[in-house]
Amino acid sequence: MELSNKPSKGKLIASGIIPFIFLIIMVAYIFGPGSELLDLGVPLPEISMEKINFVDSEILVTVRNTGPIPVEIVMADVNDRIQPAAIEPDRFLERYETAVVRIPFDWNEAQPYLIGLTVGDGTRFEKEIEAAALALEPNFELVGFFAIIGIYVGIIPIMIGLLWLPFIKKIGKNKYHFFLALTAGLLLFLGIDSVEEALKVSEESLAGSFNGALLVATVIVLSFLGLYYSAEKLVKRAESSRMTKPVAIALMIAIGIGLHNFGEGLAIGAAVGLGSIAFSTFLIVGFALHNTTEGIAIAAPMSRGKTMIGKLAGLGMIAGAPAIFGAWVGGFVYSPFAAVVFLSIGAGAIFQVIITILRWIREEGDKNLSSAAVASGFAVGMLIMYLTSIFV
Amino acid sequence: MHLVKTMKGKMLLTLISGFIISIIYFSLPFLVIEATEEPKTFLTHSGAVIQTSGDVLDPLYVASTVEFDPMEYLREFNYGRVSQLPDGTTLREFTIIAEDDKVMEVSPGVFYNVWTFNGTVPGPTIRATEGDLVRINFINNGAKSHTMHFHGIHPAEMDGVFEPVGPGGGQFTYEFTAGPVGVHPYHCHVMPLEEHIVHGLYGVYIVDPKEGRPAADEMVMVLNGLDTDFDTENNFYAANTIPFYYQHHPIQINLNELIRVYVVNMVEFDPINNLHLHGTLYHYYPTGTDTVPSFYTDMITLSQTERGIMEFKYDYPGKYLFHAHKVEFSEKGWIGMFLVKENPDQKSQSGIEYGT
Repeated sequence: MELSNKPSKGKLIASGIIPFIFLIIMVAYIFGPGSELLDLGVPLPEISMEKINFVDSEILVTVRNTGPIPVEIVMADVNDRIQPAAIEPDRFLERYETAVVRIPFDWNEAQPYLIGLTVGDGTRFEKEIEAAALALEPNFELVGFFAIIGIYVGIIPIMIGLLWLPFIKKIGKNKYHFFLALTAGLLLFLGIDSVEEALKVSEESLAGSFNGALLVATVIVLSFLGLYYSAEKLVKRAESSRMTKPVAIALMIAIGIGLHNFGEGLAIGAAVGLGSIAFSTFLIVGFALHNTTEGIAIAAPMSRGKTMIGKLAGLGMIAGAPAIFGAWVGGFVYSPFAAVVFLSIGAGAIFQVIITILRWIREEGDKNLSSAAVASGFAVGMLIMYLTSIFV
Repeated sequence: MHLVKTMKGKMLLTLISGFIISIIYFSLPFLVIEATEEPKTFLTHSGAVIQTSGDVLDPLYVASTVEFDPMEYLREFNYGRVSQLPDGTTLREFTIIAEDDKVMEVSPGVFYNVWTFNGTVPGPTIRATEGDLVRINFINNGAKSHTMHFHGIHPAEMDGVFEPVGPGGGQFTYEFTAGPVGVHPYHCHVMPLEEHIVHGLYGVYIVDPKEGRPAADEMVMVLNGLDTDFDTENNFYAANTIPFYYQHHPIQINLNELIRVYVVNMVEFDPINNLHLHGTLYHYYPTGTDTVPSFYTDMITLSQTERGIMEFKYDYPGKYLFHAHKVEFSEKGWIGMFLVKENPDQKSQSGIEYGT
């Protein structure tokens, strides 16, 4: 078989490569030296201020050239007033290159600031900071602080949610389907929430050249497909091993929620780090209430097997602990690009989990997705999430 | 089959690793940035010295690199080519060439398309004595129509409004009798007017009284703004175009010597501008048309093309600021400094020579 393939293989490779060669020739022709064929219009410079850190008597601006042409950063201002500043490593930025602008400035805590940068053709770009706060230095105290936030927001609420397991165990089939659908409703809300957050971050902090909305869509689909593929594998393996199908599904849900919580932790850590929110106990309570429902989502499928406290706790950790890592990453090395990517991964994961749950309900429950229990469960799930989200 | 499977695996691996690398590149830029050596230093506005391994961003011109030298413009008066008419009138002839394609580095690193009279913003300071015949051979080498409109007294057809001078070498001769005594602006008056003015087509026109002025160290300050990003808000303000120039290159004057400043406000977009002088007060002659000062003050407010003459002396040596007390303007470049020096042989600065 291999031998008979040989002559045609060469042809196959050639026919696969030829279009690429033409593509390269075309690109070379258009961009090549002396070609002014498409030299129309005026390319405009664009820069994005991705991160603004307030440190001791200085404002640090991470700037990226996100336009179609190289730019030179020539001036910095604070509140539209010119300030002497420095830019490191240098003021010439190629496409996508970044630099840090250091503006010596005695800023005031909690005050809003407008940071402006001017490029060589006189165009000024600006970015608003709602409330200046000292940039976070990674020290043990802060690592601990973020861990505590992560535990409050991620782990504890989910563990509390898991306590509904005995209750769900005792109810009848119809009510059980109600709870499964409720879980799907909760997750759908979380998924939409992640998408919204990802789009918001990409709009506010990501340059246009990243195609924010399409980046979100692409990552969601990739994450969805990746998990879809591995979930099939997992469930298939579950059939042949000692892991039962409910556990496999609960594991998938936990992973999905975990990815989502990583994004959530990222957002919280970043918000604290960027000083855009004051982290009040009220907000933590809001997140905690909101996330308790995530515990139900894991408990629901598990209720149809033997009660396995250890596994359950493990799943709770898988779902909740990423909030801690998210808070660390968000607080110490925040980047809007990473935030968008992780939020989108979370959204894709959640959509995949919803599909898994719905399929399970269909298999379990008489091939029917339009029963009163399922429809009402889905609706109540969305409603609960909406109402608890008001607290956040 | 096996081959296909490993290829798939490899492709997947490549995809994933590419993805991860790009995430790292975009999210953790500081890992990619390498610091260069040899630190540079700069001064903040509050005087702190800051060191950097990168480049300094400071609108601070060095005298040798500035394209338009505000120090030269400050005391440069153009009296024209002088001749006598048969009836004894002094004729002063000037040639003014308009251009609109020049790109000038208005502040270090900031390049702006200036429209110029004789290559500079502001255009040359034209100076005559009341009653002189002023003749201006105007040539428009720009790509748009331009004119010269003088504030002052002249016939309607010399007003530079209804006779646009065509681009690419169009010519017009403006001729009028100098008057009234004072300090006046001239500027292009082609529509859209705001655009033609803010790009730099303006200058100062001084008419001296026949009996002359008391000897003084004279200078011209045009208060102007630059809207480099065309959002109808000025990005820079200055006295004589270059932001912060006189702050870093103080104007040197002598103790107890009479200083006379012809100040003209050409700022657009903002309704008012003002001028505050430190360490002394000035006698102010609005529009310069009267011989008796109207105010003795250290602060005047000027609307568009409002102008006047300031006369003052310093009693103590040292550095004194002058700036817009609309502080936004001063923080965007309209700020300067006088360095008052004790000079034993007074009158080292030139008195007034009525151009020959």
